[in-house]
This record gives sequence, structure tokens and C-alpha cells, in this order.
Amino acid sequence: MLDTVSRGLVAERMTGQDRPIRTDFNPDASWFASPRPTFGRSALALRIGPLRFALEGLSDRQRDRFAGQYLPFLDPGPGTPDLTLRMTRAGVDAFLVQQAGGSEVYRMPARRDGEARRWWSYEFAGTLAGDRRHAELALVEEEGARFDRGSENFLRALTAEFILERGGLLLHGAAVVRRGRAYVFFGPSGSGKTTVTRLSPADLVLSDDLTLLVREEGGYRAAGIPFGMAHHHVPDSNEAFPIAGMHRLVQSMDVRRERVTGAAAMAEVIASLPFVLQEGEDPRSPMENAARLLAEVPLWRLHFREDDAFWGVVEEH
Amino acid sequence: MDLSIVLTKSPDAAYRTYDGQATIVLPSRAQVSVLNEVGSAVWERIDGRRSLQEILDGIMEEFEITRDRALTDLEAFVADLRAQGMVS
Repeated sequence: MLDTVSRGLVAERMTGQDRPIRTDFNPDASWFASPRPTFGRSALALRIGPLRFALEGLSDRQRDRFAGQYLPFLDPGPGTPDLTLRMTRAGVDAFLVQQAGGSEVYRMPARRDGEARRWWSYEFAGTLAGDRRHAELALVEEEGARFDRGSENFLRALTAEFILERGGLLLHGAAVVRRGRAYVFFGPSGSGKTTVTRLSPADLVLSDDLTLLVREEGGYRAAGIPFGMAHHHVPDSNEAFPIAGMHRLVQSMDVRRERVTGAAAMAEVIASLPFVLQEGEDPRSPMENAARLLAEVPLWRLHFREDDAFWGVVEEH
Repeated sequence: MDLSIVLTKSPDAAYRTYDGQATIVLPSRAQVSVLNEVGSAVWERIDGRRSLQEILDGIMEEFEITRDRALTDLEAFVADLRAQGMVS
């Protein structure tokens, strides 16, 4: 009677390092309320799909680095940001602590303190104020891999949070544009998202890992997000394209697709949303948005092998 | 199985039903499940008030299945739901 479709996604696996065993520092409400210095006075505005984020409190070097990394997503303005994010120095050398030896799934607890939302992990602690217009990201380092990982993970969480309010979703999926329409390919790590983009060299790749599904008048559109971590493709465009279909990737010897509807389709989408299947999250709003999406956008299970024959199947009408 | 037991859905479980089939999401366990029609009918009836006996009678009537078959399925299903933290 019961079929467990999928467990939560392992977004990233941490590799153990030779550090002494220490305990996690889980910041409480008073830690979040205390003031912290910024890195500098520089600022940057980003436009991700329909969302406008203003980053402030950056050093010049941080701003220049972000501007280079996120070039297609720089907001030419003017426009009122949905959110102003203040970047600060955490003043501690770690929040969560990765234990020596072995490996662990990247942990990122979330909590509500009154109206405020909190997230924290190894290298950052972030808060979204109750007014939902202001946020703070406290980072343990000023630059380098830990700065990059902390800031990208928090920006991804904020993107997922804000797109929900607009009726959209942040999906663990790739998106490729062909003839003006976006084909979304999704599934857990290792299911073939990056492979699909590699097998589409002449097409515009919006993302090989995280795709925004944006609800607009006239239908749903797909857009890339720039916070893909170093090993993922940073999109070449911040444009949004109408979605032709969603494809849950299944590696196979043959190439075919079958339509998935109803409860099974809902399960496939929910299992592929980062930041939903974890302690402290409420899946009701993502489920509402997924139900509306699935009423308009068809979902298939795509059996594919490592060549571009799948395009002959997904472009069928 | 004690059929006088009254089960309650886990407050963590969010669910939606489509064409008689339920998708259940349990964030704390990072788990998404789909129930078939009989499972969904049982799930809908788990409300903190109805006993397993009442639920058994309900699904026998709705799906026109024998008591032995319904009881075997219900027993296995309730064990699954408990193991996965969906009910208490």
C-alpha cells in the first residue's frame, strides 16, 4: 500500500579533515540579535528570475569577485530589491563542525525564532527578518572556499524561500533551451543532469543543477540561478523561458518516456526540491505550488542512455 | 492486531490526494511516499477518532474485499506507517 518514492537529496557530501573533535555551535536568538561588523561598504544588486537581491556590507574584493562570477545576473536596475542582504563577519571560526575522519552529508539546520527564519551550517549563519525585506549573512571567513560555500548555500536557501511566495519552486534539476522552450531534467545527484547538458552542446544551458520554476501570467518559465557552486555550470543567461516539459531522469539502456501524473508526479517533484525535506521545514506551501505547476506542465519519467537520442523522444509532440 | 486502537497522523506529515492516491511528505525523515488507493482510503480515515476496526469495516465495504484479505493488508500497512513515523 505504501511506496517510498524517494528520500532527501544529498546535495553535497563533506570529506573528513584532520581536525580535533569539537561540538557544533548552534547560534541562539540572542546570538542572531547581537550586532556584527560588515566586511566593507561595497554593494551589488542581483536579479535571479523575478527576484531582486541587494547585497551590501561587502569588501571591494568580494564585490568584484561576485560581479565576475554572477555577471549575467547583475541587476542593471533601477528597481526596489525584494531583499537587502547584509554580509557580516561571524566572529567565530565555525558553526557546525565537521567531525574528523569519514564523511558526512552537508548539514544545514533551519529554525524559526518568532517571525524570523534562521539557517546555519559549517561556515555561516543567516537570518531572514520577519519583515522579509532584510536578511543578514554572517560568514566565518572573508574569502576562499568556505566563504564561497557559505554565501552560495545561504543565497540558494533565500532564493528557494522567495520563489515560493511567487508561486514558483527551486528544483534540483537542469534546464536546456531548444527552439525557445525550456526542457527541464531533474532527479537526485548522479541521475544524469550534467550528462544531459553535456549532450546538448548547441543549446543554451540555463542550469545543470538548480532551476527556478517561475509562475508568470501565461504559464510557467524556467530560469537558471548563479549559485551553483564551483563544480556546476554558471548559466550564460538570466532569461526565463517557457517550459516545454519536466523529465525525471532514469538511466537506462533504452530511450523512452512515460507520463507520470497525480500523486506519483507530486512525489517526484517534492523529492527534488532542496530545503524542503529537512527538519523544521513545512512542505505545505511547496506542495501547493507543485500541484499548480503539475496542472499546467507535463511530467515524464525519461529513460535515457548516454547519447543524445533522448532529444528525439522529448521533442515529440 | 488490536483493532480497538485509534491512530493519529503525525503532525509532521503533509499530504495531498489526487484521484484517490495520496502523496505524503515527512520533512523530518526526508521522505516522500505515495499510497495506493486502499492505503489512501485507510490514511484518510486515520483521524484520531476512528478505531482500526471501524477503518477495517470501511475499506471492506468500499473496496468489496474479504475480511481476511483486508485484515492482512491493514496489519502490514499500519506496521509500515508506524515504522516510518507517519502515525502514532
